[in-house]
Amino acid sequence: MVSLLSGVFLGWSLGANDASNVFGSAVSARMLRFWTAALLASGFVILGSLLEGQAGIETLQNITPMGLKEAAVSSLAAAATVTLMTFARLPVSTSQAVVGAILGIAVLNRELNTPNLSKIVACWIGTPIGGLLIAVILYRLSALVYNDLSMNLFQSDSLLRLSLIAAGSYGAYALGANNVANVTAVFVAADKLTVFAAVLVGGLSIALGIMTFSRRVMETVGRRLVRLDPFSALVVVMAEAITVHIYTFVGVPVSTSQAVVGAVVGIGIIKGIKTVAPRTLVNILLGWFLTPVVAMVMAVGIYFAIHLQYIRPVP
Amino acid sequence: MKVLFFKKQHQVESLIYDYLENLKMSKEHFYKALNVCFEQGICGEFDFQIDRTHKFESKADDVREDIKTLMYEKALLPESRGDIMGLLEAMDQVPRLFELVLFMIKTQKLMVPEFLILDLKELLDVTMESCALMVKQVETLFQRREGIRALVSTIDLNESHADHIERRIITKIFDSDIDPFQKLQLKEMIVNVGDISDQVDRISKRVNIISMKRRV
Repeated sequence: MVSLLSGVFLGWSLGANDASNVFGSAVSARMLRFWTAALLASGFVILGSLLEGQAGIETLQNITPMGLKEAAVSSLAAAATVTLMTFARLPVSTSQAVVGAILGIAVLNRELNTPNLSKIVACWIGTPIGGLLIAVILYRLSALVYNDLSMNLFQSDSLLRLSLIAAGSYGAYALGANNVANVTAVFVAADKLTVFAAVLVGGLSIALGIMTFSRRVMETVGRRLVRLDPFSALVVVMAEAITVHIYTFVGVPVSTSQAVVGAVVGIGIIKGIKTVAPRTLVNILLGWFLTPVVAMVMAVGIYFAIHLQYIRPVP
Repeated sequence: MKVLFFKKQHQVESLIYDYLENLKMSKEHFYKALNVCFEQGICGEFDFQIDRTHKFESKADDVREDIKTLMYEKALLPESRGDIMGLLEAMDQVPRLFELVLFMIKTQKLMVPEFLILDLKELLDVTMESCALMVKQVETLFQRREGIRALVSTIDLNESHADHIERRIITKIFDSDIDPFQKLQLKEMIVNVGDISDQVDRISKRVNIISMKRRV
């Protein structure tokens, strides 16, 4: 039970940070109360975890075989990496931290499912690109319909507000379905949890993070999206949700933040404006390399640390 | 359904119509007051119409404050809140100018010479038409979206026409042999009436931008 705590902590921090990607715009724009958003997000995260969380768990548990001790080490290493990099203000993806930590265990095991890892890395690269492409297509298509509706100010306002809430709920569902594997997959690999228990515990811990600690992040980080016009913000949230949901079908946990950045870049391409600073893109690239490496080193370090033994000196 | 889910938005909507009604009433009494002034000079009826103009201007101001409060209570999207508040602030300048003109006539005991009355009535008619079109344009923005651009063109034409009349009247004033002090007083009043058309033109362009922003 104690070994599960690192997983719960990881889920909690994931919920606290990533809920802003789905409901940040609605909450920071004050079109939705925080508690309503938190309840909707928590409910849909749990629903997504329970209904579609298994695929990601199967992918992560097959990277390398591990026992309970290795599972706890990798989970702790991932959580420590996320915390450390957040404190250092470096871009971090929970999905990449988890895979990096599992890789650390794989190094120690000297056993690695390379095709699985290749699939995961390909999906990491595909996440912002997917977000970008989906945002471009979605913007073009929905703009045709939206302009054709010829609504007055109040009607378009109502439609956008309802759509943002619906897109946020869908985004929360996709977040739960895709990211729950990050939280508890290693414990399924260690035979500590069944798949159902894993998605339930994972979903609940993400929801706990949303309910207890996402307010500040939603209110501040969400403002980045609100700087876009409401229609573009809606497209970004929707594109992020669809991208993450597609990778759920593929069975690979990906970063919601990177999907958002991709979608925002897509909006910039359509509008012919610079929506994302080049520094943010450099940070993502940096994060791709740095996060797994730090998590891997951390996992190996923690593993060695818990195996240190005091050897009595020979008199 | 709409009232259930968007109660505050619905309240804002009806308050905006309320605001426009008060603006229309203020405009009507301003028109009556100036006509009374042109025909009868400063009299009891003129004072009564000033009071009515002020009353509706004041009511419009109260409604605007109510809308502002509702906006701060998280009604509508932030962008729409900003657009509506900006629009109301701009529209509020119109009844302020009505009052400015009327109180100027009243406090300075301004007498309008006979030879200016026809021109002034023409300027007033063009200005009032612009105001009516502006109200119609704002209603269009909140009811449906078509027809806003056509109204912008008409209001713009009216503004040019009003400018032309304004210059003509000022020339007539300074060509006349009335008291130089009265010339300056009249010029100031004409400029203030002309400002109404200019302000209406600015509002009309703002409405057009608000509407265009909602095309993606």
